[in-house]
Amino acid sequence: MTQPVLSVRNLKVEFVTRRGTLRAIDDVSFDIAPGEVLGVVGESGAGKSLTGTAIIGLIDPPGRIAGGEILLQGKRIDNLDKESLRKIRGKRIGMIFQDPLTSLNPLFKISEQLVETIQTHSSMNASQARQRAIDLLIEVGIPAPEKRIDGYPHEFSGGMRQRVVIALALAAEPELIIADEPTTALDVSVQAQIITLLKKLCRERGTAVMLVTHDMGVIAETADRVAVMYAGRIAEIGPVREVVQHARHPYAKGLMGAIPTLEATASRLVQIPGSMPRLTAIPRGCAFNPRCSEVFARCHVERPEPMTVGKSEVACWLYDTKKEAAA
Amino acid sequence: MSAPKSSTDANSAFVTVRDLKKTFDVSKPWLERTIERAPKQFLKAVDGVTFDIKKGETFALVGESGSGKSTVARMVVGLLPVTGGEVMVDGISMTTTVDSAAREKLRRRIQMIFQDPYASLNPRWRVQDIIAEPIRAFNLLSSPKDITDRVGELLTLVGLSPLDGVKFPHQFSGGQRQRVAIARALASNAEFIVCDEPTSALDVSVQAQILNLMRDLQDKMGLTYLFISHNLAVVRHMATSIGVMYLGRLTEVSQAKEMFRNPRHPYTRMLLDAVPDLGMSGRARTPVQGEIPSPINPPSGCTFHPRCPLVNDRCRAEAPVPIHGVACHAVEEGRTGTMAVRKSA
Amino acid sequence: MAAPKPTLRQRLNDSDLWLAFKDSPIAVAAAITTVLIFVLAFFAPVFAPQDAFNPAALNLMDGFSHPMERGAGSNMLFLLGSDAQGRDMLSALFYGTRVSLIVGLCSVGFSMVLGISLGLVAGYVGGRVEQLIMRIADIQLSFPGLLIALLIFGVARGLIPPNKHETTALFVIIFAIGLAHWAQYARTVRASAMVERNKDYVQAARLIGIKGLPIMAKHILPNVMGPVLVIATINLALAVIEEATLSFFGVGMPVTQPSLGTLIRFGQQYLMSGEWWILLFPALTIVILGLAINLLGDWLRDAMNPKLR
Repeated sequence: MTQPVLSVRNLKVEFVTRRGTLRAIDDVSFDIAPGEVLGVVGESGAGKSLTGTAIIGLIDPPGRIAGGEILLQGKRIDNLDKESLRKIRGKRIGMIFQDPLTSLNPLFKISEQLVETIQTHSSMNASQARQRAIDLLIEVGIPAPEKRIDGYPHEFSGGMRQRVVIALALAAEPELIIADEPTTALDVSVQAQIITLLKKLCRERGTAVMLVTHDMGVIAETADRVAVMYAGRIAEIGPVREVVQHARHPYAKGLMGAIPTLEATASRLVQIPGSMPRLTAIPRGCAFNPRCSEVFARCHVERPEPMTVGKSEVACWLYDTKKEAAA
Repeated sequence: MSAPKSSTDANSAFVTVRDLKKTFDVSKPWLERTIERAPKQFLKAVDGVTFDIKKGETFALVGESGSGKSTVARMVVGLLPVTGGEVMVDGISMTTTVDSAAREKLRRRIQMIFQDPYASLNPRWRVQDIIAEPIRAFNLLSSPKDITDRVGELLTLVGLSPLDGVKFPHQFSGGQRQRVAIARALASNAEFIVCDEPTSALDVSVQAQILNLMRDLQDKMGLTYLFISHNLAVVRHMATSIGVMYLGRLTEVSQAKEMFRNPRHPYTRMLLDAVPDLGMSGRARTPVQGEIPSPINPPSGCTFHPRCPLVNDRCRAEAPVPIHGVACHAVEEGRTGTMAVRKSA
Repeated sequence: MAAPKPTLRQRLNDSDLWLAFKDSPIAVAAAITTVLIFVLAFFAPVFAPQDAFNPAALNLMDGFSHPMERGAGSNMLFLLGSDAQGRDMLSALFYGTRVSLIVGLCSVGFSMVLGISLGLVAGYVGGRVEQLIMRIADIQLSFPGLLIALLIFGVARGLIPPNKHETTALFVIIFAIGLAHWAQYARTVRASAMVERNKDYVQAARLIGIKGLPIMAKHILPNVMGPVLVIATINLALAVIEEATLSFFGVGMPVTQPSLGTLIRFGQQYLMSGEWWILLFPALTIVILGLAINLLGDWLRDAMNPKLR
């Protein structure tokens, strides 16, 4: 088996506040193989974006990584100093955020931003870098790139800006791209274009992608594997087809049923009662137990760790075969 | 709680919107304009929108950002004055009626649910006061005890506890806040509720709760909804009939089931194709072309023509008028076959 | 039926502001100092050893007692010394601070009411009304507050008959300082009101036919008070100092109702002749009071700004 591009082991992120320490990410582990797209879904507050932020080392105080390891190509990066991390960001890990304007400097032309990024990470001269920038813009589907490359970010529409951001993220040929809600700010019709593009580019280059989003549809279209997060933990992780069509964790199951689809015929949607707990009040045992329809005694006491079920890993006591065998 | 008698029978329209128009003046300030000798600029946010809603049904307006759907919503409830056209609810015109007493009465029967439940509830008010505000404003009840009882009843109706009334909005999650907003909309015994993207700020599991609640309430109280959304899957779940908006105009209006089975306008097809395929059915899809142009300088003729696969010279020159609910020259001329061929290819 | 409202104590424990306050020694110290000064000043007749501005209570023989010295006439202990008329400086300070604080609080209250009302109207109504109000505010803000207060004070003096000057002085100075500072409130409130006006809860209120005035008062006002309170706190210190400055120049409070500024004006005559305490203690009081209120205001501003948390 090839070495994973990214390996996250027992990651814990905490926030120290006046009311005590809050654990926002609690024991999260996953791998991303080369060329693989890992979708990370969850509702707001599940810790999905924070996981991405932790990987690129951009957690602001009072937040901090409180435990675990993050390995890029087998080497730890969570304990690096700021300067080395800064070099890794952009060069080895590309980033795409929800709002393309946060990644683009409004005061500089697109060409300047692209050329600068290319030159920082390679030894090309200015004209080579410019040619490379144009090639990248062609690749991300910007019409008439020779002309548009000298425009400013505000001269581009939302979808075009996000394409530029993708070009910028790809410029340094990173091994991993972390895309945090890359399509959420875009219109439905544009959203589909961006997803298709992102998927195609990563296939071609073998770039690993961590795609963070709340939109299950985007995941179903793009990801190879998917991790469903709940209250700072992974509830279920597995191949996308498994999780979307045969979710095992009651939360993942409920989540899939809750999404209205074009094909569905039922007049009522499956609904999970209640809402995600606040970090200050995460229940004991399995964090999902107050909302779970299949809850039993053990769920209130013991926290389930991920266990292998088929091709997936599910953190739910329903699937604890060892216990059943023992009983 | 009995629904007030309506003068309309089940078959005629409860809400009628005729040729609704809204133009915004987006000109630069006077001085700048004079110096630059620039003409005044107008944005036609809504340009001749017509539809009917029957009592107890849900009419959904779908469209991408900038299509003018929210502007329609705000004009229908009377928050935004209309530039032209008419809105009638239960036979009374909202836009031309001069009898202010009649309009005041109508106001009680029309309510709105907003997109962002974090902005639609006053953060400094207790939930019980928020819900009681319409009751007090319309003098529906006077004794404090009656009001408290009614607020408790409404909270129960939307799935909250009467004890939640003393809390402030920040003590609730997004979904619970939207429940409070629904309770406020029902407080004046409204019959027609305009919902402007009521679930797009919510998480999916919570969205399902709110959508189910809205449907239950509709069944229970015979509510009529105007439902604004950009999410076709949500609309499919809620709507009886659907209007698709593009750059301020309705491109297609039809029964919900019919629209999903047989989308006629090329833009409707495009939107349907863009919906991510969660069922992984491997349904054939055409990639969507281009983006919405600026509404300040909309394209000539049919505004959709730069993105349309079926475009011809007539589309570039002449704006289509709706025929059987579809405003498209290609549909009128029977040229849509080419698209179907492309799809299956 | 309704659950009992949470008690004040529960609400305090639940509030971020209280937690932040407990964590800040400077804020706690400033608050204690401020409260102490307020209590001593407002209950001056209770705490003051002497009824300092009642001529009958003074003994001329006690004049110019040093601090910690017993008076030659009454044998009373003068902790902070006495002035030429045998007036106990400590008592004079209590009474003087009371006048200063009354002027400060009332003028801040006056400018707040004026500024908030105009700011709300400007922000909510918009259009020409807004243009008019804000241009006046701009003009006012381009002059130093003290200058405007002096101007208003002068005009008021001219309009009021001289025999009423002494009795009306307090109101005139409150009016003058208050009118000099409304613009700051108006600007802040206008900016916040413009944001709040477009929020959906205001739209929801308009939808059920609530009119402009109640919307401004019941919906928008509570949501714009945060920054206003910060400005008010800092302006209280400013108003006290401004009043002192005016009184120091002799255009403020009369001798019969001296404020801290008036006391300083008296005191400076004696500085050269060695009776330093008459000047020092009122001056020190004003510094401490100003500093405490200002620190409190600064802390409040930081605590209420989520970005700095």
